Amino acid sequence: MAASAQRSLLGNRLVIVTGKGGTGKTTVSATLALAAARAGLRVLVIEMGHGEQIPRLLDPQAPVAGYAGCEILPGLRAMRIDPFEALAEYLGLQFGVRAIVDAVVRNKAFRQLMTASPGWRELITLGKIWHLAQLDAKDASGPRFDLIIVDAPATGHGVAFLDVPRVVISAVRAGPLRKNAQRVERLLEDPDQTLVLPVALAEELPAREIAELTDRVRNEMNISIDRVIVNAVVGPPFPDALPDLDEALARLDGDLELGALPPPRVLARCAHYLRSRHELNRRFTAEIQETTGLPTVELPRLPEGIQGPDQISSLMSALLADPVFLA
Amino acid sequence: MKSNPKLDAMLSDREIIVCVGCGGAGKTTVAAALALEAARRGKKALVLTIDPARRLADALGVESLGNQPEAISRDILDTLDVPQQGNLSAVMLDTKRTFDDLVERLAENEEARDRIFANSIYQQISNALAGSVEYSAMEKVFELHESGAFDLVVVDTPPAQHALDFLEAPQRLLDFLDSRLVKMLIHPAFAASRFGFRLFHRGTQRVLQVLERLTGIGFLEDLSEFLIAFDAMASGYRGRAHSVQDLLLGPKSTFVLVAGPGMESTRHATDFLDRLEGYGISLAGVLVNRIRLWPSRSAPPEAATRESADVEVLRDAFRASEGAEYPAQLAAEAAERVATRYAEWVRADAGFAQPLRERIEAQGCFWGCIPEFEKDVHDLSGLARVADWIAGKDEEP
Repeated sequence: MAASAQRSLLGNRLVIVTGKGGTGKTTVSATLALAAARAGLRVLVIEMGHGEQIPRLLDPQAPVAGYAGCEILPGLRAMRIDPFEALAEYLGLQFGVRAIVDAVVRNKAFRQLMTASPGWRELITLGKIWHLAQLDAKDASGPRFDLIIVDAPATGHGVAFLDVPRVVISAVRAGPLRKNAQRVERLLEDPDQTLVLPVALAEELPAREIAELTDRVRNEMNISIDRVIVNAVVGPPFPDALPDLDEALARLDGDLELGALPPPRVLARCAHYLRSRHELNRRFTAEIQETTGLPTVELPRLPEGIQGPDQISSLMSALLADPVFLA
Repeated sequence: MKSNPKLDAMLSDREIIVCVGCGGAGKTTVAAALALEAARRGKKALVLTIDPARRLADALGVESLGNQPEAISRDILDTLDVPQQGNLSAVMLDTKRTFDDLVERLAENEEARDRIFANSIYQQISNALAGSVEYSAMEKVFELHESGAFDLVVVDTPPAQHALDFLEAPQRLLDFLDSRLVKMLIHPAFAASRFGFRLFHRGTQRVLQVLERLTGIGFLEDLSEFLIAFDAMASGYRGRAHSVQDLLLGPKSTFVLVAGPGMESTRHATDFLDRLEGYGISLAGVLVNRIRLWPSRSAPPEAATRESADVEVLRDAFRASEGAEYPAQLAAEAAERVATRYAEWVRADAGFAQPLRERIEAQGCFWGCIPEFEKDVHDLSGLARVADWIAGKDEEP
């Protein structure tokens, strides 16, 4: 099946990277940001939650970006949206008088109410993202950011996060909260601007979960989604001429002395492990394609793990490759 | 791996084990395997998952898990070496049902109950909004422990960012219910009219004005109505919330940190440890899941010390075993690359885990490794294999 109608990942305004915890959302976000900056785009990459990882992945010496953000590389800004800071900024824009806003945000009862209230963190974060997407460049030559990348929270919550505008619209009858939620929803649902980029592992349970996720995003939330990133794929372990190398190794004398090489018994186990993981990844990549109806882009599993800019740049071309269906 | 006395003590002495850790580390699997191991030791064990993704039902081979514990059948327990006095149940948190059950239990009468059920704020909180899962999870843990039906409840938690929300949930809700603002909102004058604002002193007026500008009039009225309805049961809830907190932070409970392999996972786990320590939480130990181990239990050999003569011996062995037609040289070289590649993974995993391991062992907590198997754990026999590793009855990796 040919993969048509996909535009390049770099052709979006807003890319929301989502998926189950541990699938590599942060790696994908950082890689896409780097690729976009190298392609000459003005790019902003956003993290949420407690920790900040992307600046360090792109440059081990990078300072903490925080809410104010920080230019990590030419054309590439990173920031972390803290909901309370976003709220203070929003209230400042609404009321103009900073002193009132500060008094309110510092008010203990107000903080208690906000800390206990679910949902607003997601909404204010999305509102801030919406606001950032509206900014113009200083010289008014176009948008301030050509591409905004959001490293979203893990799946269960990641989907709830995108669902908050809809929930607010149905719960709140009128007022600015509803209006803001509608604006955010319009941005999310605009296929010319926004893409959800799911990241999965080619394993049984993650494959099933990504099917649920893509289904909800497409059908319930009506947000555009055009491919699945399959991360940490173990490539073919043996030369094509030797598909059963692990079995051949197992037929040798297991304790044969091989000097500094491990004995055949150990070699056979290593080979069997790599082959099993490779075949498992193939099988579930195919299943992801079948259950989601989406083509995939595969990123290789790097033996040393993701440590910094070396690994991130080595993944760029694989991430930007056209999504494909397995033959 | 030898048996682990600290882990043995945890399984025999504690009544609640909370598995915390980063998303994707395998908390659900490890929680279920811990419960299975406790059952094998004759306990009545229950595993509760509060992860919104429906993983546990798959792993336990139970078709659908509801909001009430579902027992694994005796036939299956027999195949898993669970003795007669032991059993294993599983429950999947249903956020809305748990909220509804709580309201049922605490509401003064049917009218009060129905008023809460009908309130739009309640419907959203109990149904859809991110964060509500933590409130109901702590309620469920308490309910299950209080039922007395289980010797041990093993709790799976949502991903790291939210796992401490779960611990904070009781106190947060109490703070909220006790806050002046809530007292204002449930003031009858406020409910009667938004001009009720005037009754409050200026600081509070200001907060209410901001909230109203932010949310719209309807929202505050709904919120006020919800809080009035909820207030009727608040004293009952307050008592429960305190009990939940005492239970989770008290001597009957302990925490196990589940980490994944690799640099990112171990860094997350280290951050997580810092935060747990900040809470004064007693950690029983760390289980590193899906780590790659070298098959012979020794350290993987260094590729640099290899000589071409070694590969030639392997080539000749292939030739003797597979026949003259076999591409023996290619096979021997490929086998060498396989060993190099796998050894690289093993060394990387061990290297990243080492600082965490030293810290954990210095604290007197247990440290355990569960290897990545050649296929993923998604059924009971897989869980049994994980439980074997946790208990130290493992095969060779």
